[in-house]
Amino acid sequence: MLLQPVPEISLFLAWAAAVVPLAAFGLILVFLRGLPRAAAGTSVAAAAVSLICAVCLLVRHLGMDAPLQSSVTWMASGDFEIAVGVLLDPLSLVMLVIVTCIAFLVQVYSLGYMAGDAGYGRYFGFMSLFAWAMAGLVLAPNILQVFIFWELVGVSSYLLIGFWYEKFSATRAGKKAFIMTRAGDTLFFWGWLILLVWGGTLQIFELNSGAHGLSSAMTTASALLVFGGIIGKSAQFPLMTWLPDAMEGPTPVSALLHSATMVAAGVFLLGRLFPFFSQSDTVMTVCMAVGTVSMLLSATMAMVSRDIKQVWAYSTISQLGFMIMALGAGGYAAGIFHLTTHAGFKALLFLCAGVLIHAHDTNDMFVIGRAGGRRMKTAMVCMTAGALALAGIWPFSGFFSKEAIMGALAAADNPVWLFCGLAGVFLTAYYTFRLIFIILFPRTQAAGANSHGHGSVPASAAMYAVLVILAVITLAAGFFAQGFQDFISIHSPHAKDGHTAFLAHIASPVLAVAGIFAAWMQFGRSASDQVGFAEKIGPVGRLFASRWYLDHVYAWITDRVLDRGIAEGARRTENRVIEGALAMITGWVVICGRMAAGWHRAMIQPKLMVAVAVMFGLTLILLVV
Amino acid sequence: MQMHAAHFPFLSTILLICVSGLALVLVLPKNSNAAVKWVSAACSAATLALSVFLFAAYDRAAGGMQFVERLDWIPSMGISYLNGIDGFAAPMLLLTGIVFFTGVVSMWELDFRVKEFFALFILLVIGVYGMFMALDLFFIFVWFDVSLLPMYLLIVIWGSSAREYGAMKLTLYLLFGSALILPGIIYLAAVSGLETFSLPALVENASFSGFEQKTAFLLFYIGFGILAGVWPFHSWSPTGHVAAPTAVSMLHAGVLMKIGAFGILRVGMFLCPEGWMYWSPMMAVLAVIGIVYGVMVGLRQTDLKFVIGYSSVSHMGIVGLGFATMTVDGINGAVFQMFAHGVMTALFFSAVGHIYDRTHTREIGELGGLSAVMPAASSYFVIAALAGIGVPCLASFWAELLVFIAAFRVYPALAMISVGVLVVNALFMLRVVRNTCFGPLNPRWAHLKDMSFAMGMPRAVLAAAIVGFGLMPFLMYDLIQTASVPLIHALGPAVGLAGPESVETLFTELMSVWP
Repeated sequence: MLLQPVPEISLFLAWAAAVVPLAAFGLILVFLRGLPRAAAGTSVAAAAVSLICAVCLLVRHLGMDAPLQSSVTWMASGDFEIAVGVLLDPLSLVMLVIVTCIAFLVQVYSLGYMAGDAGYGRYFGFMSLFAWAMAGLVLAPNILQVFIFWELVGVSSYLLIGFWYEKFSATRAGKKAFIMTRAGDTLFFWGWLILLVWGGTLQIFELNSGAHGLSSAMTTASALLVFGGIIGKSAQFPLMTWLPDAMEGPTPVSALLHSATMVAAGVFLLGRLFPFFSQSDTVMTVCMAVGTVSMLLSATMAMVSRDIKQVWAYSTISQLGFMIMALGAGGYAAGIFHLTTHAGFKALLFLCAGVLIHAHDTNDMFVIGRAGGRRMKTAMVCMTAGALALAGIWPFSGFFSKEAIMGALAAADNPVWLFCGLAGVFLTAYYTFRLIFIILFPRTQAAGANSHGHGSVPASAAMYAVLVILAVITLAAGFFAQGFQDFISIHSPHAKDGHTAFLAHIASPVLAVAGIFAAWMQFGRSASDQVGFAEKIGPVGRLFASRWYLDHVYAWITDRVLDRGIAEGARRTENRVIEGALAMITGWVVICGRMAAGWHRAMIQPKLMVAVAVMFGLTLILLVV
Repeated sequence: MQMHAAHFPFLSTILLICVSGLALVLVLPKNSNAAVKWVSAACSAATLALSVFLFAAYDRAAGGMQFVERLDWIPSMGISYLNGIDGFAAPMLLLTGIVFFTGVVSMWELDFRVKEFFALFILLVIGVYGMFMALDLFFIFVWFDVSLLPMYLLIVIWGSSAREYGAMKLTLYLLFGSALILPGIIYLAAVSGLETFSLPALVENASFSGFEQKTAFLLFYIGFGILAGVWPFHSWSPTGHVAAPTAVSMLHAGVLMKIGAFGILRVGMFLCPEGWMYWSPMMAVLAVIGIVYGVMVGLRQTDLKFVIGYSSVSHMGIVGLGFATMTVDGINGAVFQMFAHGVMTALFFSAVGHIYDRTHTREIGELGGLSAVMPAASSYFVIAALAGIGVPCLASFWAELLVFIAAFRVYPALAMISVGVLVVNALFMLRVVRNTCFGPLNPRWAHLKDMSFAMGMPRAVLAAAIVGFGLMPFLMYDLIQTASVPLIHALGPAVGLAGPESVETLFTELMSVWP
């Protein structure tokens, strides 16, 4: 299978999909800051153009028989070249459609959601920046381009999380997100340095086909380091705690960046380099282990949170963990299909949550429930549809992708992975419907419906339209499961998809229903006290609620080790050793100067004495010698 | 070294414009502040235009020394007025032009001893321009000192906190450096036996022994390295930055530190390649210590200018690391970093200066939430911080990228350490941004006004340079290449690249423990 050059029209479309949002960003930044409506219009139009280009590309290449690649040299230094280009294969085409589609829908939704905000124009500018960076990342044919845009999506995420900069917590969350993903990126940087310098290539296609000069040990090492970047970006264990904090940003941002697309970039990269990662069994095992731990840990955190957005954020980590498990088990198509369906239903869940939050001016699900959240019929129906998909109930899209993942896990050598996966299915259904039931069946009704906070705004028609579109996608996507998986795995000989394990396929939906039933018992039925089983056991509830104390570890590292340890040590070195040495040198200079000056003071007698003594000594020496 | 004579003495024209600007400022009556500012601005704009022209007009296909002009000065001693620029000097001239112009405009609100300030400022810039274009060792030394001495007065008279101490420390340090450079120059000129101070002539004709090269290189490395902020000779620089007024900080961090690095490159590396090779491991180690150390000390600072001062130490370490690799990529990255850091840090100091002028404090704890009242100033501050972090599509990213790649080929462990520090660097920059620009607005600053269009203009120029070269790095690299490739080729195939074996053995052992 050889690479073909990209036909000219496709190349134009691909470039347009990426560059038009950049142009919109530039326009907004330079000219349209003072014209919020024009800025929003420009941004949405650019997103629409991107979406159209992406769809055209997908349609044109549905029957492709070889990946297409073209690139141009952007910068050359010596014999090292940095090339930018596009790589079109089923994965990038599908991902581009997902990204541009969700980006467009979220921007349309934002027109209503962000209305009246002082930073309206700035918001859409950053959204365009993100759209550009994400498209560049998806289309990248080499790791360096991936890395460049990888960092750029990180920057746009930083800017958007901290969008409400006057909120201290928001800017803190933005900083935390940037630093934690950056920590992963350091490993990624090391990884690609090894690939470049010792492996001799950064071309994704060459790495995947094994045409690199690395020994198997170095392959493992570099793949693990690159996986470090994936851990950071996809908020996997142990770099996971930035994602729930990132919910400080506006809700549409959470929907677009922190659930559907940007955090999925890590999984995307894993899929991109899937054949390369498959060259080492160790790496695949590590992937499965990290995915499993993240999936279970974040599911437990979601079980006790009161904040709607936080629950969805934990669930995002958990679902990304599912994808990484699937890829680690060799289920390439299963993992990517789950990425696709998840993008749809998780965006839906976030945007529905946004409508509720917008209307009630709080994130607390109990408060929203008491204030009559269930009266917002469209939002609640759409959210329930999304929740059914998340829990994995037929006929929603999540059911099909979860079944595929369970098939892949069942094919793994060790049954532990399957058991963990099934446990995850149960927990997912449980925490999802805990939230739904709490809002649907509030325990104490508030006095009146007029408990709206000052920031509450009813949702616009466009916002509801977006919800309905996403709900329809969620309902329909599952029926394309087979076609999708066939298309996506055309060029991936390493994939081990298509396994069917009868037991797993029965157990998974049964457990999902069991999870919903458990949630019903504790939160739904009128006799329940709406206290989950985790919260009933104090220490466990506290462990889950404080995120397994991961944040304490990071606080300790930054505060004690870095700040008060190394940095303070360096500061003292600067003040005492370097400045001290300087003071010593200048001190000696001054002393020498004083001594020399002493000879020139007007004190005749002592000087005369010294002179006589010296002359006497010299005479003596002369006489003796 | 190919020399292409100039049809028109563009380089001397730059100096001449500055000198006539200086003369004009001096003859203006004492209280004509506005006239002084306009003359300075015109003078700086003219030199900026010429620098841009030279940057664009440099023939990249021909390479070598271009726009060469020569005049015998003291023939009996072999001293000539010899100017020319190559792929290293052209970006530095552009940098000087940009920082000179933006510096002058940034000081537009000055009202204390205006005439003297701008006179000294122009004098300083004359030295900088001269240093970057001179090809005669004697003149290099003279310009070097011309650029140092006005600094003392500029800091002592117009400076702020601890200015006497800062100015004295800076001056003594730098004079100590020139006390090493002068013997080095005389030593090399003497042992060559050619009776010339002309750098091209010495490079072409002299054959220095290994010992001579090692000795002289060390003298140049320390002498110029002090000015480049090489650890452990860096401590004058943060103190100096803090004490200096805005435009002087800009010029100081933006251009003066580059003079040091440029001196190592132009004099040390051109004349003493063997010495360079001999000392390069030490250079690499000192550079990486500087990279780590600058960030770590900066993390604990509370004064905005100290923060940026220490980050400069760290960023200049990247330049040193690039030099130490002795590869084309390393040199390219280092020279680009000199440019990128110059523009970035000028923007930083310019934004900080603006904030300081308004609030009269630089304590990070007292600021906060400035974005609400000064969106433009804060935006520039954020752009500078993002550039300092090394965000892609801003100039310094490409520089750091190349240096790290080159360093990884030669010193894998050191390169990995430097890459690792990027996280702490990001932490440090974003913390400053958060505490200064973001968060709730401190009510003390609620009355402040944002910068006017005129005051925003220099910042916009700097930001445009950062973004422009960030999006189009090839503009710079194509130029730097023309000088770095011949320099490395002249070395011959002497540089050994580190293979993966060392790390691989270690890794295999580690992996054998894994089941």
